[in-house]
Amino acid sequence: MIASPNTTSANPVRTITVTIKRQNGPSEQPRWESFQVQTQDTANLISVLQSIAARPVTTEGSATTPVVYDSGCLEEVCGSCAMVINGRVRPACSALVGQIVGEDNTITIEPMGKFPVVRDLSVDRERMFAALRRVKAWVPIDGTYNLGAGPRETPDRQETRYVMSTCMSCGCCLEACPQYQQEADPKAWETSFVGAAAINQARLFNMHATGATEKEARLEVLTGEGGVNDCGNAQNCVKVCPKEIPLTESIAAIGRDVTVHAVKKFFTGR
Amino acid sequence: MSTHAAPAKTAKTVPFIERHYFLLRRLHSLSGVAPIGLFLFPHLTTNSSIVWGSTLNKGKFGDVVAQYGSEAAGVATFQHEVDFIHNLPALVFIEIFVLWLPIAFHAILGVYFARTGKSNVDRYAYQGNYRYWLQRMTGYVGVAFIFAHVSSLRWGWTYGGLLPTFDAAHAASSTASHMQDGLLGTTIAMLYLFSVLCLVFHFANGLWTAAITWGLTVSTGAQRRWGQVCAAIGVALAIAGVSAVIGFVTLDPDEARQVEDQLAGQATQPAATH
Repeated sequence: MIASPNTTSANPVRTITVTIKRQNGPSEQPRWESFQVQTQDTANLISVLQSIAARPVTTEGSATTPVVYDSGCLEEVCGSCAMVINGRVRPACSALVGQIVGEDNTITIEPMGKFPVVRDLSVDRERMFAALRRVKAWVPIDGTYNLGAGPRETPDRQETRYVMSTCMSCGCCLEACPQYQQEADPKAWETSFVGAAAINQARLFNMHATGATEKEARLEVLTGEGGVNDCGNAQNCVKVCPKEIPLTESIAAIGRDVTVHAVKKFFTGR
Repeated sequence: MSTHAAPAKTAKTVPFIERHYFLLRRLHSLSGVAPIGLFLFPHLTTNSSIVWGSTLNKGKFGDVVAQYGSEAAGVATFQHEVDFIHNLPALVFIEIFVLWLPIAFHAILGVYFARTGKSNVDRYAYQGNYRYWLQRMTGYVGVAFIFAHVSSLRWGWTYGGLLPTFDAAHAASSTASHMQDGLLGTTIAMLYLFSVLCLVFHFANGLWTAAITWGLTVSTGAQRRWGQVCAAIGVALAIAGVSAVIGFVTLDPDEARQVEDQLAGQATQPAATH
């Protein structure tokens, strides 16, 4: 049993209408359903979805299935609960009722539009992980013998890299990006835009002393079609990033690296 | 390392645009800055000389100013600029290789690239997102305008008498009379004004994004500061563009024609008039 809600006048129990875009499966037609939910201003949207799951009855009074959604950490570090709330993408766990409910007492929720819907608000972000593989977003330490300790990292560099490392692959930057379109065919992921998240990860690992051994390979990918050149500089990514990662700085920095990489390649052939 | 690698593509199976993707993208960016964008400076300062010439060049064209007033100095300056351009050696080669081909390249690739985006200003009404959308819209306007502009004023296509042609010997008076030719003239002047402002925005904003593309402005602060510089450049070019239209719309074409003829006469027979 959840602890009884704090019903002081500062945080009263209120009834809101939650309108959700639902879809039974990947190839099914979407439909809209509304629910009346008793909640409080300090409650987050995940707890609202839990209330709906506990009593899946629409505003019209007809019984329906519980709304499917992804969530994990509930503290904005796992990224799984990103969804389109009142027309704008954000993680549901950090969306508090009092901050997002409209004057008409309504909250509208849709699944992210750039990824295939699995069911209701749950989407398949596989393409994000394909993009991380594409840009080799890792530190190469695997081998047949012990490689020993890596090079030293300066605190200054750690500081710069830290915020970049907080990316949780929620996909908000891609949802808001006008240059990133839904692509169902995994074969097309090799040439379609990798997006801000993967570009930022490439920069993160290029700045890592050991990760830098794969720098040229990462830049080679980002030089080509679907790389950093596909950015249209709308800069929505940095506005919607819940982790406040300087994505546009990462894009510009990779743009500079790619310029140098291409000039070097022109003269040295590799 | 990758266990599910796609079959190796041979040079033949990879489309041209994919093989030369980086080069095409960066040439598109570069061509927008130079030569196309840089050309806006001499072009709009020449056009606006109808206004600034009447103030700055009063002394230089003292004869006609004494006879017709200070407006005549603007007419004379504009004519002088046009004569200079038309007397450039190998003008048509400059036009083809510095202007028309780069503009065609920039336009074709620009439309192709713009088709890969899908604007979402309705949901994300950020200033930067509006500029992203405007950059593409002004690009489309620019393609249509520049084609109409060059084909009518330079190649002499009249579109069945709809669009005027340019009389290089009577630069200011012919331009002014076209823009003052009733409803059609007003429409042309308004469309011209709109298109010039679109293209000035396209250049100023493109100058801002080019610095990011090439990696010149990396930090948010650098992007903001360069944005202010680009905005200032845009405002200066917009003032030049708008003043040119105002100058031609308010010019007396008949008097301007007399000034042009008188100056042409002086040029051919310098001794006879004095």
